Amino acid sequence: MTSTVPRSKAEAKRTPAASGVTGRRGQGGRLSLRIRFRRDRTLILMTLPVLLLLLVFNYVPILGNVVAFQDYDPYLSDNGFVAMFQSPWVGLDQFQRVFQDTEFWHAVQNTFVLFFLQLVLYFPIPIALALLINSVIRPRVRAVAQAVMYLPHFFSWVLVVTVFQQIFGGAGVIAQTLRQHGHSGFDIMTDPSVFKYLVTAQMVWKDAGWGIIVFLAALAAVSTDLYEAAAMDGAGRWRRMWHITLPALRPVIALLLVLRVGDALTVGFEQFLLQRQAVGPDASEVLDTYVWWNGIRNQDFSYAAAAGLIKGIVGLTLVLVANKVAHLMGEQGVYEK
Amino acid sequence: MTPNAASASSAPSRRSSPSRRSFLASTAVAAAAVAGGMPLLTACGGGQEGRKEGTTSGKAAQKILPAFVASSVVAPDIPAKNGSAAGFTRAIAMDQLKTSVPKKLGSGGKLKIMAPLWGTPPDNGNPYYKAMNEAIGVDVTWQNQDGNTYDEKLGAVLASSDIPDVVVVPGWNLMGKIPSAINAKFADLGPYLSGDKVKDYPNLAAVPTDAWQRAIFGGQLRAIPMPASYVTNIAPFYRKDVFDKKGWKLPKSTDEFLAWAKEATDAKGGVWACSDMKWTAFNAFGVLNGSDKALWWNLQGGKLINRVETEEYLEALEWARKLFAAGVVHPDDKAGKTTNPASNRFTAGKLLVYNQDLSDWYGKTSEQRTQNPDFEMAAMDIFTHDGGNPLLWAVQPSNIFTFISKKASKQQIKDFLAIADFCASPYGTKEWLLTNYGAETTDFTLKKGVPNKTTQGVNEVVGAFDYTGDPAPFVAHPDFPEVTRGMVEWQQRMGAFTKKSSFYGLTITEPSRWSNLADNFEQLEDDVVRGRKKVGDVQQAVSDWKKQGGDDLRDWYRKLLDDTGSAK
Amino acid sequence: MSAVVERPPLAQEKPSRWAAPPRPAWEEEPARAGLAAKGLVLGIACFAILFPLWIVIVTSLSPKKVIDETGGLVVLPKGITFVAYRELLGGGQVQRAALVSLGVTLVGTLFSMAVSVLCAYGLSRRGSLGHRWILMTLLATMFFGAGLIPTYLLVQALGLTDTYLALILPSAVSVFNILVLRGFFMGISSELIDSARIDGAGDWRILWQIVLPLSRAVLAVITLFYAVGYWSAWFNASIYLTDQKMMPLQNVMIQLVQKQERPVGLATQINTGQLSPLAVQMAVMVLALVPVAVLSPFVQRHFKKGMLTGAIKG
Repeated sequence: MTSTVPRSKAEAKRTPAASGVTGRRGQGGRLSLRIRFRRDRTLILMTLPVLLLLLVFNYVPILGNVVAFQDYDPYLSDNGFVAMFQSPWVGLDQFQRVFQDTEFWHAVQNTFVLFFLQLVLYFPIPIALALLINSVIRPRVRAVAQAVMYLPHFFSWVLVVTVFQQIFGGAGVIAQTLRQHGHSGFDIMTDPSVFKYLVTAQMVWKDAGWGIIVFLAALAAVSTDLYEAAAMDGAGRWRRMWHITLPALRPVIALLLVLRVGDALTVGFEQFLLQRQAVGPDASEVLDTYVWWNGIRNQDFSYAAAAGLIKGIVGLTLVLVANKVAHLMGEQGVYEK
Repeated sequence: MTPNAASASSAPSRRSSPSRRSFLASTAVAAAAVAGGMPLLTACGGGQEGRKEGTTSGKAAQKILPAFVASSVVAPDIPAKNGSAAGFTRAIAMDQLKTSVPKKLGSGGKLKIMAPLWGTPPDNGNPYYKAMNEAIGVDVTWQNQDGNTYDEKLGAVLASSDIPDVVVVPGWNLMGKIPSAINAKFADLGPYLSGDKVKDYPNLAAVPTDAWQRAIFGGQLRAIPMPASYVTNIAPFYRKDVFDKKGWKLPKSTDEFLAWAKEATDAKGGVWACSDMKWTAFNAFGVLNGSDKALWWNLQGGKLINRVETEEYLEALEWARKLFAAGVVHPDDKAGKTTNPASNRFTAGKLLVYNQDLSDWYGKTSEQRTQNPDFEMAAMDIFTHDGGNPLLWAVQPSNIFTFISKKASKQQIKDFLAIADFCASPYGTKEWLLTNYGAETTDFTLKKGVPNKTTQGVNEVVGAFDYTGDPAPFVAHPDFPEVTRGMVEWQQRMGAFTKKSSFYGLTITEPSRWSNLADNFEQLEDDVVRGRKKVGDVQQAVSDWKKQGGDDLRDWYRKLLDDTGSAK
Repeated sequence: MSAVVERPPLAQEKPSRWAAPPRPAWEEEPARAGLAAKGLVLGIACFAILFPLWIVIVTSLSPKKVIDETGGLVVLPKGITFVAYRELLGGGQVQRAALVSLGVTLVGTLFSMAVSVLCAYGLSRRGSLGHRWILMTLLATMFFGAGLIPTYLLVQALGLTDTYLALILPSAVSVFNILVLRGFFMGISSELIDSARIDGAGDWRILWQIVLPLSRAVLAVITLFYAVGYWSAWFNASIYLTDQKMMPLQNVMIQLVQKQERPVGLATQINTGQLSPLAVQMAVMVLALVPVAVLSPFVQRHFKKGMLTGAIKG
């Protein structure tokens, strides 16, 4: 049986009856560890399967990242694992190589620019679309619009790029129509200067519709009573959206935003590889393609591991900072204070 | 789901496919296995196994290489000349097929073979595999892996202590540390094949020595090679039907080509003159071959020169840039990789010239014949910067290799060689027909004497045995004799102008600290021809390359040349 | 605690599914301009999606001759053939692979949902012991990945290569999904949970009887995320499986596309000019959309506005 010891001051306040019953407080007003464990053991137990899976399938192979401090050759020994103990240690040399490469910094710069573009031009769109769909009350229209918007997510990148080429390319539908009417053609698919907007548009086309579904789930949980009560108080359509709908979405938006910021260095991969020839690496190189090109493709495992660790540390730092900011703004973010 | 441009071809015309794959792999953005990679760690001139850099040639190689005994089972209609493949224009009647493996060589043992495959692998135990196993006398279990992720799979499998008995490694997968894995994990075939020992396997004895030389890894003969013609495989194809109709003459020089291209392009009508012609530009200007890092070097005037340092390299890029600037290149080819390759625009008539592997001549012709009878294509001779004869550089004479694990028993190695010998049987033999077409009635039927695969044959005979052994290069398309003739004669004409650079035919392992040094030139080339960078940027990159190790690499190659000499 | 939306008797109301249901009395009539703007935006969005989809479908149905003449994707249909679909669905391999994919998706999704829901709930009570450490443990895996070689060696050492477990276990946990679930669980009114606790309900019962019923929408979404993940995964199979008989649908589809692309392939269909590789590729894309179209209504059922009352505070 789970005990009824409150888990926080807030909870204690809400359940005054419960707090006195079994709550033996430790020093400094905190419950002793033993009691807290007894109280929460079910909860901890519930997390064990996931922890076990992550331990085995994530943490054990992540230990392989020690090769970032080596010049790793997995074929030194009969087994690549044993080879880890035989490869020479090189300290921070690999990290130095990464930092000294001007192309790395160039890729980082491209990545951040694309991240900010995605944040501004992509991130709000699923929210707006979710609100729009949510405001449609005809069930069929709603169902059809939703189903249509999910579809592009299931197209592969190579198809998306092909379709864009076919429509917006130099010999595409639009360019040829212009030519046939005496205008000159145009080609935005091979223009490095608009590339960042092009890929953001491709991303919006492919994934914005799919992105709405988490927000729809959040909207489904908003009580109609609240709207009714607000309407009775004289709040109009926009005021209801501002005071009821958006607050209901805020925790989800904050959560996704924090996670997105943490993932700032991930802006796409295949999409950029596919269009590398079209606009050149100067415009299209992002961190993930850089690591692939310079580490994975030519089996420089140590270099790839070093770049991966740098990316991980930056990501974790960013998510912690973003979470702090979320706290300051009164949101709980990924984890609470 | 990225469809990789590197696809497997099947039976008859696959002689030229290895080089096709390396070419495609190097242009395909997603595959990006820069052609040839960097072969291999090897003990300099030594017979001992080692993880050292270098190569084996000269006397040291002579001790290892198998003897050559030409096969005379069937005389080709067009004998090989100037490094070309041999051509077979006629089908050979079933009752006239020769036998090249009179006695079953296999012991009945079991072997697991891992090989890349682009397509749908048939289940093990299908009638074709069974018939092959029965004929060879070895029970083969195939692990046909998706060719697009083969490099990743290979890297992981070789790092484990449990590798399949036999492993196929295409040349473009010889990246990074794979060569060292090969030396560490695969057996020396020398004791079974060197010198006269190969005569136990007559079909393998007929494999050209050039191809064997490439199979020396780490100072030992470790692989069964897949031979290919050394004549350049990149042919500029043109729409012969359109050229004839418009009365266009074939361009003899790069200037003529540009002038023709401007005339032929009709953007409003949706027709552009050509695709990205960078590869042809290199051939037109006599630039050293780029398909393998070792071929980038050549001894000129007593000094080793790299292709990127040459005047010709810059001129070729400048000319290719002019094509793009003049707007004669199809915009889709400017964009590069989509699901729609240049050959589709070519057959549609939206593109009049494109360059591709020579095997496309047969592939596209046979594909178009039934529905588009007017369609006619051909390869033009390589035009040149001055209108004279071209100067072409040889490509490597083999680029797919099959290895057997060091842990294999003697018997298993002999069984492996039995498979290789069987699959290397020449055109016109029963063994060749079984390997490439399966059994009559179930897998193929005869149409005017020419074998045609049935649906079952199409699904089962998909080229798994392709890599485990092959005869000397040949082209055999009895259904299109004129194409066969065209292909072989093109190779012979171009072969007459083909020279071998200093490191032709050698499998060379560069020191790992320099092995990625020149990786970015290919992207730089694309940037220059598309007008995003200037030729001056290439010169800058070359001077950086020299400083960062290019000059040291030159000294290293120089020493290699002085110590071990050229292939022959 | 009861659903507010009344379900109209279906039989009579059916024709009106395209029409607006009666508005609640408190809701004002919408402005015409607003309605028009809404319709316009939805219309443009749908057109931007459906036009390319149209091109894809038309190309998948076009005879090779038409595709060859166009030199690329086909916009205006000139003749229809189902040969690409027949080629894809005809072989016995596709049916077998579809069963494999279905099985892996079902088992995998159930397994992933079970462990994820438990974990999300286990982390959702404010102030519980160790929850921050556990959260950090989860979060870190989002940022630090492992290379292919260590992962492969591990899967092999565990004896999972050439088993379906290799397609499920290494990718069973999505921390992102757990965090979303947790976020929704935390939004459930604590009064409800506290009062249940006072009534003597343990965590298992609270999860089962209160949290899960109130979280139908997000459960549907996360189930969908996992299912889509398993259904469309192909890389693990290409690395961990060697037996063609075990390959899931995505891998077989990729192989079929490659088979058609073979440049000198002697595949009879190509030689007789019936089948265009481009059409096959587009048909694969269209087939990939079928499960979405099938699943979509099931998911949307859980998105009814105001379906749950009093569940979310605020």
